[in-house]
Amino acid sequence: MPKIEVKENFFYKALGKKYTYDELEAVFPKAKAELDGVDAEKGMLKIELNDTNRPDLWSAVGLARALRLSMGKKANEYDFLSEKGNTKNSGKREFIVDENYPEYRQYSIGFAAEGKSVTEDILEALIQTQEKICSNYGRKRKLIAMGIYKSDMITYPVHYCAANPDTTSFVPLHEQTRMTLREVLTNTQKGREYGHIIQDCDSFPYLKDSAGHTLSLPPVINSSDVGAVEIGDKNLFIEMSGPNLKMLLLASNIVASDLSDMGFTILPVKVKFPYKTEFGTSVTVPYYFQKKTETTLDEAEKLLGIKLKRSEVIKLLAKCGIKADVLPNGVIEAYPPCYRNDLISSVDIIEDIAIARGLESFDAEPLSDFTIGRLQPSEVFARKLRPILVGLGFQEMMYNYLSSIKEYAENMCISDENMIHILNPMSEKFALVRPSIIPSLLKTESLSSHAPYPHKAFEIGKVAVIDKNSSGGTRTDNSFALMSAGEGENYNSISSVVSTIFYFLGKEYTLKEIDDPRFIKGRSASVYIQDKQVGVFGEIHPRVLTAWDIEVPVVVCEFNLDLLL
Amino acid sequence: MSIDIKSLHPLEIKVLKMADEGTLLSVSLLCDKLGYVTGHANQALSWLLAKGLITETKKEKSIYYELTTRGREAMKIGLAGERIIELIREHKSLILKHIASKLNIDSDDVGGTFASLKKEGILGMDSEKKVFLLDSSKKSPSLLVYRQILNKASETGILSEEELTLQEKEAIGRISRKRGSDSLFKEIERNVSYYLLTPQGIEAKAELEKAHITGDELGENTKEIITSGKWKEIPFREYALNAPMSRLFPGRLNPYSEFITTIKDKLVSMGFEEFDGPLVENEFWNGDALFMPQFHSARDIHDVYYVKDPAYTDDIDKKWLDNVKAVHENGGDIKSRGWEYKFDPNFSHRQLLRSQGTVLSAHRLTQAKVPSKYFGVVRCFRYDQVDATHGADFYQTEGIVISKNANLRTLLGMLKMFATEIAGASEVKYVPGYFPFTEPSVEVHIKHPVLGWFELGGSGIFRPEVTKPLGIDVPVLAWGMGIDRMALMHLGLNDLRDLFDNDLEKVRMRRNTNA
Repeated sequence: MPKIEVKENFFYKALGKKYTYDELEAVFPKAKAELDGVDAEKGMLKIELNDTNRPDLWSAVGLARALRLSMGKKANEYDFLSEKGNTKNSGKREFIVDENYPEYRQYSIGFAAEGKSVTEDILEALIQTQEKICSNYGRKRKLIAMGIYKSDMITYPVHYCAANPDTTSFVPLHEQTRMTLREVLTNTQKGREYGHIIQDCDSFPYLKDSAGHTLSLPPVINSSDVGAVEIGDKNLFIEMSGPNLKMLLLASNIVASDLSDMGFTILPVKVKFPYKTEFGTSVTVPYYFQKKTETTLDEAEKLLGIKLKRSEVIKLLAKCGIKADVLPNGVIEAYPPCYRNDLISSVDIIEDIAIARGLESFDAEPLSDFTIGRLQPSEVFARKLRPILVGLGFQEMMYNYLSSIKEYAENMCISDENMIHILNPMSEKFALVRPSIIPSLLKTESLSSHAPYPHKAFEIGKVAVIDKNSSGGTRTDNSFALMSAGEGENYNSISSVVSTIFYFLGKEYTLKEIDDPRFIKGRSASVYIQDKQVGVFGEIHPRVLTAWDIEVPVVVCEFNLDLLL
Repeated sequence: MSIDIKSLHPLEIKVLKMADEGTLLSVSLLCDKLGYVTGHANQALSWLLAKGLITETKKEKSIYYELTTRGREAMKIGLAGERIIELIREHKSLILKHIASKLNIDSDDVGGTFASLKKEGILGMDSEKKVFLLDSSKKSPSLLVYRQILNKASETGILSEEELTLQEKEAIGRISRKRGSDSLFKEIERNVSYYLLTPQGIEAKAELEKAHITGDELGENTKEIITSGKWKEIPFREYALNAPMSRLFPGRLNPYSEFITTIKDKLVSMGFEEFDGPLVENEFWNGDALFMPQFHSARDIHDVYYVKDPAYTDDIDKKWLDNVKAVHENGGDIKSRGWEYKFDPNFSHRQLLRSQGTVLSAHRLTQAKVPSKYFGVVRCFRYDQVDATHGADFYQTEGIVISKNANLRTLLGMLKMFATEIAGASEVKYVPGYFPFTEPSVEVHIKHPVLGWFELGGSGIFRPEVTKPLGIDVPVLAWGMGIDRMALMHLGLNDLRDLFDNDLEKVRMRRNTNA
C-alpha cells in the first residue's frame, strides 16, 4: 500500500484550513486514507493510501482535492484538457515521437507548466508525486517513467527516439562528466537501479530537443542541465514514457491537476506519433480520454439496500469528483474526473455513492437466509483424534509448512525428488513445502534437549508432495504424526501407542516390514487398512538422529488422515 | 518464628525426641542410639541444621575407611589369601607363578600374601618351591579380621574409626591406603561435626511432645496398612500441606489450535460451512479469477512463492478460463470495461503456493449453492521477510455469503455479528476499504475489550467481474478476518512466530491468559 509523507502546513494550505489530527482521522476514510503517524518535530504527516487504483490520491495536493470535494467544496476547473473533438491550443509546443522509436517502450508524452515559482515545498511535493507514480503505479518505472525539466532551456519540438547506446552521450544529473548511454547504466546510481529495464535492448530510449540538448535517458536519469529543476524555476516541462499510453495520459492528468491546484498554468503540448494510437496519430496533452461508465438507480439501490433520489445521486457523485446524469429511465451516466480511471464497471460508481453518503449512514441489517453450518470431514476427524492423543500424554504442536532441503531431505536421509520445491525461495530456509510432519517433530526434539523428559508431541496438519496422478501434479494431504523421545523409547512403545489410537478409532490394521532410511530396519512398519497403506511408524535411525543432533532414542508415527476418514 | 512440626521427617522427629538440651549430637551418636545407618544420620542432621533446630558446636577430624572397587570385589569372590588357601586345598601344591596365573592375581601380591600366611603357620613351601598347606584345620587370624571388617562395611560401604574394634583398627591399616585403588579400603580424613539443640529445636521438641508425635506414625498409606487394620492402632503422620510438589507432564492441546477451534465453532454456529483446499494453487484461481489483473503488484514474483516443478498445471477448466480471460480483457459479457490488457492464459497456469484464502472462495463459487455461507481457516504463504508481524506461512480466516438478499447493509450486519460474536466487541466502526475483487469494500474496526480499537478484518461484495464468469448471478459477500492479533493477545504473546513455535517446553507451558 502506498504511503506518503506530507508537510502539515503545505497540506493544510491545500485543504483550505488547518485541521486537528482527530478531524483528519475522521475525514480520511472518504479517500481510503489512514493517518499512519505524525512527526511533530518536522511537522510531517505520514499517510497510508489503501486504494491501489487511485494514484491521484498519492500526493498532498491530490489527497487534499479529494477531501475538499468530499466535504462538498466545488471542484477546480481544469480548462487545459483536450478531448476528442476539442483540442486545446498548443502553440509552438510540439513533441515528436520519431520514426526511429524504442519499440519496447513506444510511448512518450509531455506538457508544460508556468506562472509560479518552484518553492521548496512544491519541489518536494513534485518529487514525491514522481516517486509514487513511477514506483508504485508505474511498477518501479517499468510502466511509467516521469521527468521534469526546465522548459526555458528547451527548443521545441522535443524528440523521443531510440538512440545508439554507445555513440550517444550526455552529462547525467548530479554528474560532472559526459558518459555514453551505456556507461550511464553502470556509472550512476540510478543507472544501476533502473538500467535493467533497457540494458538488453539494441537501442535505448532517448529524449532531446531541437537544439540538440539532452533532456534524459528515460526511464533512468535526466540530464544535468535541462533536467535539473531547482527552487526558483518558473517554467516546467513534464514528460512521461512507457509501454501503455492510457497509463501515461492518466499520470499526466494527475500531475497537471496537481500543478494546476498549486497555482501553475498548464500549457498543452501536441504529441505526434509515427504510428496509430487508440486516440489517433497526434494527441494534445493533457488529454481527457475517460469514457462514461453507467449504472442504474435500481442497481445502486439493490446493491446498497437503500432508496436513492436522483438529485441525491448527482450530489453524492459530485463529492467524488464525478459528473453524473440520471436519465429518466433511471440510467446513471458517470464521467470521472481527468485524474481518475478506476470506474471499471457499475459497482465502482455505486461504491462512490456509498462512500460519499458515509458508511455510518447505512443501517446494518442481519443476514436472513437460513443455512446449515458444517465442518470439513477432516476437521471432524481431527476433533475425534486430538483427545485420544492428549490422553496418551502428547502435547499438540503447530508448525510452519516451509523449510530447508537440509531439514526435510538431508537430515532425514531421503531424496527430495518428490518434494515440492519453491522456484523463488526468499532464503534456503524456505526452499520446500513439507512432505511430512516428522521433520517438524524431530526439529522440536533437537531444540528441546534441555527440557525435562518425557518429550511427547503431535501435530495434525497438512503436507504436500509431487504426485503425477493428482491435479496439477501435486497432492496435499491432511496428516497426523506424533513423536516420543527419551531413554527407553522403542518399537514396542510406539507400537502400543499406534494400537491404542486405532483401537479407539475403531480401525483394524495390519503391518508390513519396511526398508525406509529414516527408520531402523526391522523396527519400523507400514500400516495397512485392507490393501491401502495409511501410515508408518518405528524407531528413527541413529543416522537421522545424529543429523538432527539428537542424543536420545526417538520413535514416531505418521498417518494420512484423509485415508482414515 | 517457630517451625511447623508437620514439616519434620520421622528421622528428624526421633532425633529431637532423643536429644535433650546439651546432648552432643553426632552421626555416630545417632547410629548408636537410634540405630540409624550413617546415611540416615547425616540426612537427619543436615535437615535439622537447615531448619535451624540444631547448631554446630565443634568439628573434629576423624578417619573413615571407604570400600574400593577392589574391596567390593574381594567381598564377592574372596580375599587373595582365602583364594590361595582354597586353590592349594584343591591342587595340594603349586608353585607361586602358577598360583598367580590361575587366580589372575599379581605375582607380587601372591608373594606378599604367601609370606604372611607362612608366618601364621598356615602355608609352607617344599624343596621344589611348591606351596602346600601346613595345617588344614587352622584358620588365618588375619584373614578372619579382614573378613569381619568387610562384612561390617558391606551395608554402607564406609566405616568410621569409631565403629572398629582395637583389633580391627590395627588390621585395617594393612588393607587400606590414602591414595590409589589397589587396596581394599581407601582411607579418608573427614571432619566430624557435633551439634546441640537450638532454642527453636527445644521448642520444636516441646511441641512434638504436646502433639504426641513420636516419629513412629504411619507414613505412606499402603494396601498392607489398610487391610491389616494397623490404621486403627497407629495414627498417620500429618504432612506439610504446602510442601513443594513435583512437576507433571500432561498431554495438552495447543492453545492456538484451541483458539482456532473456538473461531470455527462460532462460524459454524452462525451457519457457515467449512471449505478447504490444496496448498499448491495456480495464478488462475489465486489471482485471475479474483479479477486481479496479471500486472497487479501483489502478483509479482517478489510477492508469491512459485512452484519449481511442476511449474504449470494443465488442470483449469476451459469454460472458466475463457470467461475470466474475457472479463479481464474487455469485460466479456458483463457491462464492464475490464482491465484492458492482453490476458496471458499461459501465466494463469503457473503454479504457486496459495497467497490468500480468497482462492478457496473463488473455487467454491463454481460449485456453490444459493443461498449458502462458507468459511475456511486457511494456511497461506507470502514472500515476506519473516519478523514479529510477518510469517512465511500463516492462517487467514476467510469466507463468503451467497444470497439474493445480500447488499451493503447485510454486509455491515454480518460484520457486526462477527464483531460481537467472535471478538466480543462492544463498538463497531465501518471504514471504506480497497480490495481488487470487491466493490464496495469495507474494513471493520472494533473496540476490543482488551486491545482497544483495531481492524478486525476486510470485506466487501464481490465484483460482478468475479462472480459472473464463475457462474454466480447473485451478490456474494466476501470477508476476511485477522484472528492472529486476537490469538496473540489470547495467548499473551506478541510475536507471530511464536504461534508456530518448535520449542516443546515453551509450547507445553503456554496457557490462555484470557480464557
